[in-house]
Amino acid sequence: MITLTLKEQPGVPIEAEALSPDVVAELGHDEICALPIFLGKRQLRLDEFFEVEGEASEELEIRGDAGRIKWLGRGMTRGHLNIDGNAGMHLGAFMKGGTIEVSGNVSDWIGAEMSGGYIHIGGNAGGQIGAAYRGSLTGMTDGTIVVEGSAGLEVGMRMKRGTIVVKGMAKDFTGLEMKGGTIILGGAELRTGAWMNRGTIISLAPIPLLPTFAYNCSYNPIFLRIYARELAALGVSVPFEESEGTYELYSGDAAVSRKGELLIWKPAG
Amino acid sequence: MLRITGGRVFDPANDIDGEVRDVCISDGRIVAEVEGDGIRTIDASGMVVFPGGVDVHTHVAGGALNFARAMTPENHRDAAKFTHSPELRAGVGGTTPTTFATGYLYAGLGYTTVNEAAVPVLSARHTHEELRDTPLVDKSCCVLMANNEILLDLLEEGETERAKHLLAWHLWAAKGYGVKAVNPGGVTAWKWGKDAKVLSEPVEGYSKVTPAKIISSMAAMVDELKLPHPMHLHCNNLGAPGNIDTTIETMKVLGGHRAHMAHLQFHSYGGDDWDTLRSESVQLAEFFNGQPNLTADAGAILFGDSVTITADGPWQHLLYQLTGRKWGNLDVENETGCGVVPYTYKGTNLVNAVQWAVGLELLLLIDDPWRIYLTTDHPNGACFWRYPEIIQLLMNVEFRRECIAKLPEKALERIHLPGIEREYTLSEIAIIISAGPARALGMPQKGHLGIGADADVALYNDDPDRERMFGHPRYLLKGGEVVVEEGDIRKMVDGRELVVRPAYDESIEEYLRPLFEQYYTMSFDNYPVEMERIEGADIRECG
Amino acid sequence: MKNRADFIIYWGGNPADCHPLHFSRYTLIPKGKHVPEGRKGRTMVLVDVRETPSAKHADILLQVKPGKDFEVVTTLRALVKNQPVDAARVAETGLTLEQLQDLVDRMKNARFGVIFFGMGVSMTRGKHMNSAAILSLVAELNAFTKFVSMPMRGHGNVTGADVVMRWTTGFPFGVSLSRGYPRFNPGEFSTIDVLVRGDNDATLVLGADPGATMPQPAIDHLSRTPTIVLDPKLTHTSRLARVHITTATTGISADGTVYRMDEIPLPLKPILKSPYPTDEEVIHRILEKVKEKPAWTPASFKEVPCA
Repeated sequence: MITLTLKEQPGVPIEAEALSPDVVAELGHDEICALPIFLGKRQLRLDEFFEVEGEASEELEIRGDAGRIKWLGRGMTRGHLNIDGNAGMHLGAFMKGGTIEVSGNVSDWIGAEMSGGYIHIGGNAGGQIGAAYRGSLTGMTDGTIVVEGSAGLEVGMRMKRGTIVVKGMAKDFTGLEMKGGTIILGGAELRTGAWMNRGTIISLAPIPLLPTFAYNCSYNPIFLRIYARELAALGVSVPFEESEGTYELYSGDAAVSRKGELLIWKPAG
Repeated sequence: MLRITGGRVFDPANDIDGEVRDVCISDGRIVAEVEGDGIRTIDASGMVVFPGGVDVHTHVAGGALNFARAMTPENHRDAAKFTHSPELRAGVGGTTPTTFATGYLYAGLGYTTVNEAAVPVLSARHTHEELRDTPLVDKSCCVLMANNEILLDLLEEGETERAKHLLAWHLWAAKGYGVKAVNPGGVTAWKWGKDAKVLSEPVEGYSKVTPAKIISSMAAMVDELKLPHPMHLHCNNLGAPGNIDTTIETMKVLGGHRAHMAHLQFHSYGGDDWDTLRSESVQLAEFFNGQPNLTADAGAILFGDSVTITADGPWQHLLYQLTGRKWGNLDVENETGCGVVPYTYKGTNLVNAVQWAVGLELLLLIDDPWRIYLTTDHPNGACFWRYPEIIQLLMNVEFRRECIAKLPEKALERIHLPGIEREYTLSEIAIIISAGPARALGMPQKGHLGIGADADVALYNDDPDRERMFGHPRYLLKGGEVVVEEGDIRKMVDGRELVVRPAYDESIEEYLRPLFEQYYTMSFDNYPVEMERIEGADIRECG
Repeated sequence: MKNRADFIIYWGGNPADCHPLHFSRYTLIPKGKHVPEGRKGRTMVLVDVRETPSAKHADILLQVKPGKDFEVVTTLRALVKNQPVDAARVAETGLTLEQLQDLVDRMKNARFGVIFFGMGVSMTRGKHMNSAAILSLVAELNAFTKFVSMPMRGHGNVTGADVVMRWTTGFPFGVSLSRGYPRFNPGEFSTIDVLVRGDNDATLVLGADPGATMPQPAIDHLSRTPTIVLDPKLTHTSRLARVHITTATTGISADGTVYRMDEIPLPLKPILKSPYPTDEEVIHRILEKVKEKPAWTPASFKEVPCA
């Protein structure tokens, strides 16, 4: 295992895409110390900001408040990145495999355009989780992201496949222009599922709906009983028993297609 | 002073075909000999020496292109990145390179002259400002006139003489080099959401003006004004199945006047619909071969990402509806417009496979390399920095066959390429990328290495991998300055802008002014571009 | 517009106050080549959250509830395609389904329609998505008739800055050159966000006054870090800045090109001489000094590759 401990907070954000299991897996200690990180416009050595312990491992741990450190785990395909603290924007962007665990909070664009792997956030997240970067036609194409806390705007924007779970509240435009995949929410603010083409959004609390979503029926879908087991393995609990309540199914967005599904949990009684 | 020695020189305009001989340069021009102190010698052994490339049809600057830049941030992210340094400016490549990057990318191919093919008069000032920020190449502009409503109104009244002076006035006001006609009548009709698909039918809003009339009248005007470059024509019905008929009819309508047919590949289709689209390059080449007054550029496509940018508004709306891709549309009041749709050509797509074959077929079937030039209608067919891939396909029939083998089987019945054995020689390549376009543009100081020519010289390794060869010039000289050396850009020079000053009756301005004030929304005095805006203006008087 | 538009919608803007020549030069009053009857040949629809001075010029007034524009436009997109919508939820926007269906019918029957949208759309909840909604609606209306759309831009040469940024960097705003080449990410590199988070350690301000308009954390950051202002007059930002350089007023004493809202370039013809240098001169002089410093991009700069 390689452990990097942040020595001091940077005055401006640091970009550190070199900090990923793929890059460090075969590097010796000195090579790791010399990895480039970017403080604003200046290229620095990793060890100017981090204490480095260990070498040549797929297990990479970062300790400290890395909330201003961007691009951690960018494009990783294997191994495990553990952050004991916060992490900055673009965490796990373009990720293909492996796992990322963050104990604290993260910023925007985590898992953006990822195609595989697992990200778990112990605290709150920002916006654009698993989303497409501006102008791109497609966001995440596979993988799983679980956020224990709340999230920001445009969660899962233009995602095509994969799963995003936000146990707390998400802000506006969750599932914007979704193409497929699944989003599970503790709740959300406005315009959930706006302009969605396909995909499934499950909200465990009532949410405001656009006029272009139509009520279909109330039911307890069978797929959810099976899916709930998979989600339980990730520490995500989704209700499905008839005795506990039922799901209201809405389809939309009629402005685009009507193949998107919005399931809103309605507890019994 | 400079001497290039030991290289095989290809200067088809002066009948030099691979001879090992010296090329001498002094004061930015080719000279017979250099002597005295301070002569730099470049040892070009193992290299070929070409006149600098001339791109006769490309879209690299101005409102339409800048609109496309706005629409495609995702493409900039994936594109080649240009990092700034004390010598070089930052930028991005990709399908719509930024201005500084455009200059670097052209220099990276050995090109030294670039013709911006579509400039609206109303925003010409914008185009010139972007060209000023495009280093290392000389530039020229073709000014859009075939949908200028004041001009069309004159044609409706039968006032062709007055229309000619109006045309000349606009060319000078825009500080352009040549005249461009795009989808004559169609772009006007697009202002009502319509098109002009039949050459003999009156244009929307007119009773006498037909696309045929616009085409023949404008070609005649350009000839009478004795402009160095013929009317540059983008035919009606671009991209449509069966449009070969429109293209042949257009060539007949030209009635012997000069014209340069743009991106001919997009105008060479048979078939009735997308399912039956096929190549009609044989028919087109045969007809074209018999029309000595015409030149053309290929407008070839390559598989991969591109962005279609054209003044052909109706076509772009159709492409948006067919593909569901992003669509942008701009109208330029009273004059023209443009449509932008990012597009990806796929080798598995039957229509794209036919298009890919057609571009190559035209280059191989048209007999005279002096009349057909290598372009991709950048960025519509492919990015200009991929020209070396086309050179490889033209010069290497084995490689071509390998590529044909990858096409969908159904495509093979629709194209002629498998039966074509011809391989381009180096001399012929020098014609289609430099000597020929320079001649068509009427630029006697470009495209050759004779005495008095601009010292724009490209040196390439004589590499059997022609794509690698033409994608990596060892040296590039621009106006006698060594700007690329061993593959790196070493020196920054600003190019010149070639501008034509036609002769016309200045009283046309009194006719135009009140109409302009009535139809446009700006002051007439702000309309013409000030000469001070043109960087390194090189004015050519004519007529 | 002037020559053809017969159906004009102003959405979330107040042109009578903010773009005072718009009606008389471009859209309502002039006799157009194909609209010779002038005002009588045109219908103007005003969509806003309250009645402004522009209202008296409107033929149809649609008062939408604040923050509901996105819902309204999304509904219109569905109605254009004859798709069903929920009438009760439509009514929450302050407009009824009947009003919106009527609007759709009128739009489809126009010869040449246009939607101008202002800051009431682009700066309210939803922001860029509100603008995207109108642009998408207009693109879809082109299946039925000619329709165009344009943002009503702010004062100063905003459009010019946008245009120049695009041709030099590829992106209109929110650009970072910190890695040596242009990158774009609104929210990460856009001005307010950078200043509020304190992501930069120096600021140069030209032709703007963030000290007057930005959130307090941004203003505090401008005070705490070195800030340089180039402006013809002392601004709120100047008072927070370390250095203020007085420059000549563009258009009056400094020449150049200004880009109109529709991106048409117009030449500036200065009429008065100024004792102060132009912005351009000052920036050139600063750049000359910067060039004397060692280059900061390492010669062997490479982007760290993704796996």
